[in-house]
Amino acid sequence: MAELRGSFGDQPHHILTSEFGTTDLHKLSVYESKGGYTALRKALLDMAPADITNEVKTSGLRGRGGAGFATGTKWSFINRDAPGPKYVVVNADESEPGTAKDRYIMENCPHMVVEGILIAAYAVGANQAWVYIRGEYDEPHRMLTEAIAEARAKGYIGPRPFGKDFPLDIRLYRGHGAYICGEETALLESLEGKRAQPRSRPPFPAVKGAWGRPTLLNNVETLATVPAIINMGGAEYAKLGTAKNPGTRLLTVSGNVRKPGVYEVEIGKTFRHVIMELAGGPPEGRKVKVFWPGGSSAPVLPESMLDMTTDAEALAAAKSMGGSGGVIVMDDSHCIVKAAHRLLQFYAHESCGKCTPCRIGQDWAVRTYERILAGEGSQVELDTLQRVSDGLQNGRCLCGLGDSGGWVIDSTLRHFREEYEDHALRHTCNVGKVAVSA
Amino acid sequence: MPDVNLTIDGHRITVPAGTLVVEAAKTVGIEIPVFCYHHKLDPVGACRLCLVEMSPGPPRPQTACTTPVSEGMVVRTQTAMAVQGRADILEFELANHPLDCPVCDKGGECPLQDFTFRHGYPTSRIDGPRLHFKKPIPLSDKIALDRERCVLCYRCTRYYDEIAWEQELTTDERGVQSFIASQFDQPLKSIFSGNIIDLCPVGALTSRVWRFESRPWDMTHTESVCSRCSVGCSVTLWQRRGQLVRVTSHENDDIDEGWICDRGRFDYTDVNDPSRLRTPSINGSRSTWADAIYAVAAGIRGKGAKLGVSLPQDITNEEAFLFRKLLDGPLKGAKVKMHGRTAIPAPKDELMKIKEIDDARVIIVVASDLEDDVPIVDLRVKKAVSKRGAKLIVVYPDGVDFDRHPGTLHIRNAPGKAAEEVRKLASHEWLKNPGGPVGILFGDGHGSEDIADLAAACGELAEKVGGQRMALYRATNERGALASGVAGWDKLDGVEALFSWGPPPTAGVPKSAKFVAAWDHLPRDGYDKAVVLPATTFAERQGSYTNLEGTVQFLRPPIHVAPPLKEGWEVLCELGAALGVALDYEGILPIQRAIGIQPPAPELAPEPVLVGPARP
Amino acid sequence: MKLSTHVLEEIKELPAKYPQPRSAVMPALDLAQEELGYLTPETMTEVAEALHLDPGYVEGVATFYTLFHLEPIGKHRFYVCTNLSCMIRGAYEIVDHVKRQIGVERSDQVSADGLFSFEEVECLGACEYAPMMRLDHRYHYDLTAEKIDQLIAERRAPVPSPRRGEGQGEGLKRSPTPLTPTLSPKGEREKKPRAPRKKKSDG
Repeated sequence: MAELRGSFGDQPHHILTSEFGTTDLHKLSVYESKGGYTALRKALLDMAPADITNEVKTSGLRGRGGAGFATGTKWSFINRDAPGPKYVVVNADESEPGTAKDRYIMENCPHMVVEGILIAAYAVGANQAWVYIRGEYDEPHRMLTEAIAEARAKGYIGPRPFGKDFPLDIRLYRGHGAYICGEETALLESLEGKRAQPRSRPPFPAVKGAWGRPTLLNNVETLATVPAIINMGGAEYAKLGTAKNPGTRLLTVSGNVRKPGVYEVEIGKTFRHVIMELAGGPPEGRKVKVFWPGGSSAPVLPESMLDMTTDAEALAAAKSMGGSGGVIVMDDSHCIVKAAHRLLQFYAHESCGKCTPCRIGQDWAVRTYERILAGEGSQVELDTLQRVSDGLQNGRCLCGLGDSGGWVIDSTLRHFREEYEDHALRHTCNVGKVAVSA
Repeated sequence: MPDVNLTIDGHRITVPAGTLVVEAAKTVGIEIPVFCYHHKLDPVGACRLCLVEMSPGPPRPQTACTTPVSEGMVVRTQTAMAVQGRADILEFELANHPLDCPVCDKGGECPLQDFTFRHGYPTSRIDGPRLHFKKPIPLSDKIALDRERCVLCYRCTRYYDEIAWEQELTTDERGVQSFIASQFDQPLKSIFSGNIIDLCPVGALTSRVWRFESRPWDMTHTESVCSRCSVGCSVTLWQRRGQLVRVTSHENDDIDEGWICDRGRFDYTDVNDPSRLRTPSINGSRSTWADAIYAVAAGIRGKGAKLGVSLPQDITNEEAFLFRKLLDGPLKGAKVKMHGRTAIPAPKDELMKIKEIDDARVIIVVASDLEDDVPIVDLRVKKAVSKRGAKLIVVYPDGVDFDRHPGTLHIRNAPGKAAEEVRKLASHEWLKNPGGPVGILFGDGHGSEDIADLAAACGELAEKVGGQRMALYRATNERGALASGVAGWDKLDGVEALFSWGPPPTAGVPKSAKFVAAWDHLPRDGYDKAVVLPATTFAERQGSYTNLEGTVQFLRPPIHVAPPLKEGWEVLCELGAALGVALDYEGILPIQRAIGIQPPAPELAPEPVLVGPARP
Repeated sequence: MKLSTHVLEEIKELPAKYPQPRSAVMPALDLAQEELGYLTPETMTEVAEALHLDPGYVEGVATFYTLFHLEPIGKHRFYVCTNLSCMIRGAYEIVDHVKRQIGVERSDQVSADGLFSFEEVECLGACEYAPMMRLDHRYHYDLTAEKIDQLIAERRAPVPSPRRGEGQGEGLKRSPTPLTPTLSPKGEREKKPRAPRKKKSDG
């Protein structure tokens, strides 16, 4: 396997990654020698399901997939006592541009994910969990398959885990190439063997989810954090990070930085710390121009805002978001208009086509960018971009993919108006040499 | 559940709980435009056109078609946020939509046109190349698809999946590249395919049979009854210049719920056939009515059992009543064969009504492939199973379309053994505590079953489990003919004279017949040596049919009977006179009174609802 | 090419493994594609029949997901990420190099020897190793022209060792020339010249 790029080894804020780098950590015996599966044992044998959920609530853990919803609260939406099967579905579809953290966890420590899934399943009364993993993740799929087999052989997955009369099972389901499957209800549609188009909500998955049953959907990193929370206790976990956004999270730093990697960071540190210190900043002779704080779907922030802290509240106040924690850094040798064009191409390609504004709007924006970049732009094109951006936001679209396209246009226009006008009105680009789009 | 009070644009209304906001708005005449929403399909909130502002709620517009009403809700459709939201969506829909209105059959009854006019921006900001597809694509020989016009509301594919349980129509690709396609470009085969034409809110799915025939405002129409099978769906018949130009559904929730099958929708072109017979003829030469009727009378009088009478499947109740009088009098003893009837005898007691299928908890279908025999009842059963949780048992030798549902219990009986299987069902666990009515639908297996035994077995089962039976007659007016006693079953071989009311017998004119008379609308082989009276079609004649559940429904023809054509009942009265029987009815109403049926007073057409499938 | 008996049997056993049978369609298509290289209408119909589904349903699912290929893709497909992080680290130069070295212009073409094709893909979730790509069910990181050349050379003169994802099934047809799609044509953007913009002075 390739060298680890990111956090590993024992440090006070390495809640998830402290053992990463240990040889064969993906094997159950090694994982257990480092304290693995003590949380599962504790949860099954020493805690009531409601207590487990409460512990997660106390920890202040928020979903690490993108939406940042309070995890403990989400768990409490499932009515554990309702008759009939319930499911835990793990969103391992990680496809947000700039995000590699779930892959990092699954490749380095798949058992941590397995343990977290089993604890969650017991807490919400689900006997079966399905891991929906994107089709391109061959290696993580292989590692999870082996980890699950090991856990099954040990009896942790099976009819009586640790002797507890609560059958637990985990199955894998591979996606086949669709970013939209990262959206909860689209994922459920795909799991049911259909074209992955999001559903109208209500009903919410907690009431009617996978195959019509109550379902808990959580991201890989969110569930991987659960064993640590059970082991150290929710209150202890909440001491890290900020008051409203406790804990640590894995930030993927990529793009024009010297040391790209998946870094575990205490929430509340600044982006300057993350980008310039941890990731080494931009290459020699270049400056940071813009960064996406949470995947390509997070509204961009300019260099002047590097001292923004990484917690959800601060980002929301700056009209951005923490999202998936995928920090993409672009330096001053690249053109913002070309970057925005490429991202809109991404959204247009991944749009499922169900709702009108996203289906038409993303593509319309791409065509408008093409005109601008071909030197055929004018004020009309700039107005069109703004119009499309408005049409994609504010509840027009069925799901967040639509809004994301709108935010790319909106935030780049807002912070880099002059660059847009250079292209559209003056038919020139004042940035250094840039890759030509195919 | 108690009714809910809410306010829409200042109107305070009370509606049943569970009503969607878009339907609630209709009750006070407020139009919230929709594409993907259809009142017979599950709502999806895909097109985003029905955005309105709701409180309590987030500070964003929401879709009215997916939100049920809640107590005290306040809905505003005319705020800047909602108005701009809808105009934006319409502008998006039009971004790739071709400027086809002048050549598009939907023009004039097109929700996209109407909504853009009422809810869209007055001018277009769209500039630049549009997305193009090859067009038109023949989906079948009856339906054309235009992918450029398609607004991807998915009504057609959802209808196919939800209502018809078929997926031969599919959406391919993703995002803006999505398009509707038939599976692997093969022609659509389903008998239910035509409904997508009515469903499509734009001119993407159009009828090839009606292609370029007329603009909606050039047609007049009537609400009538389909004459192709015993279900008797309500249809709208459209005429232009004396021609029947198209047939669409006229929603009747008691029977068809807005769906018609392809037979009813497309099999009408013979009405406009230029070779239609218009004048009587004797041995190929034009004659007067008087001469022709006397010739017929002379040919069939006093023949007893040497006379064969062939009756069509869609003989009206009035004609059947008059035939009874003839067969009791001057034509006594004649052999009578009715087209297309089943072996099922006249019912002795009340049978189940079609709408009662909705409430059945268990449905048992015996000796019939519903999709073939009574298509729209097939859809009703599918709705009961997939949307209302009914359980389904099929007793039939071959595969049927219900097999697509994993929960269907299909007992493949050996032909002739259906009654035995039905008797075994009495002890089936599903029927121990059905939790509601049980519906037993039985056919005659196209002659492979002993119908008396089967009917009895079904009756016993119905009594045991608290069920009702529905006998699946096939011929359009089989029940009416049975009631009048003219639903004959006799073989016509060896007759010397044949009087054919309607098309010739399916087995052909018997070789022994020396005299042939017919009341028919198209020329056939051999009519140059027969006495032929020109007939009306269902698009011109007045009368009534009794459908399989026993409901009498009245034809309302859109086309006048133009002389020299005469109404069928009139011809029979004159024939009676020529045969020496006094059938002195001056009009159709006296006949109906004599039978004991009376058409209801026509409803004043309600204010047209401005959304939904093509409506007048 | 028809599916082999054992793959068909595997497919028929799939529905029982899921709470509802339709969920089997994605893994079933995957098995079929692994055996035959790509999915033709005939193959999709076979899969549909094995699962008691309408072929139209399977077609709709197969055309939605980018990992299902409905045209020949050769033996080795370069899935090169060109999304933002990779793009600003030279992904497009890598794509150009791949195209030159394998001798194709578009992603619906296969190289003359039938071995290679390429596709620009979206973020593969390995941004810390940008520019990167997926080839033969493995990720390849920190791409350079040299690395590409090496990977191509290895596959042009293969060492006989079993590798996942490589040519299962004997007698697999390789298409040396680009084929037209077997399904209905996708939407195309017409390149029309734009009408000259009206100046305000034109009234």
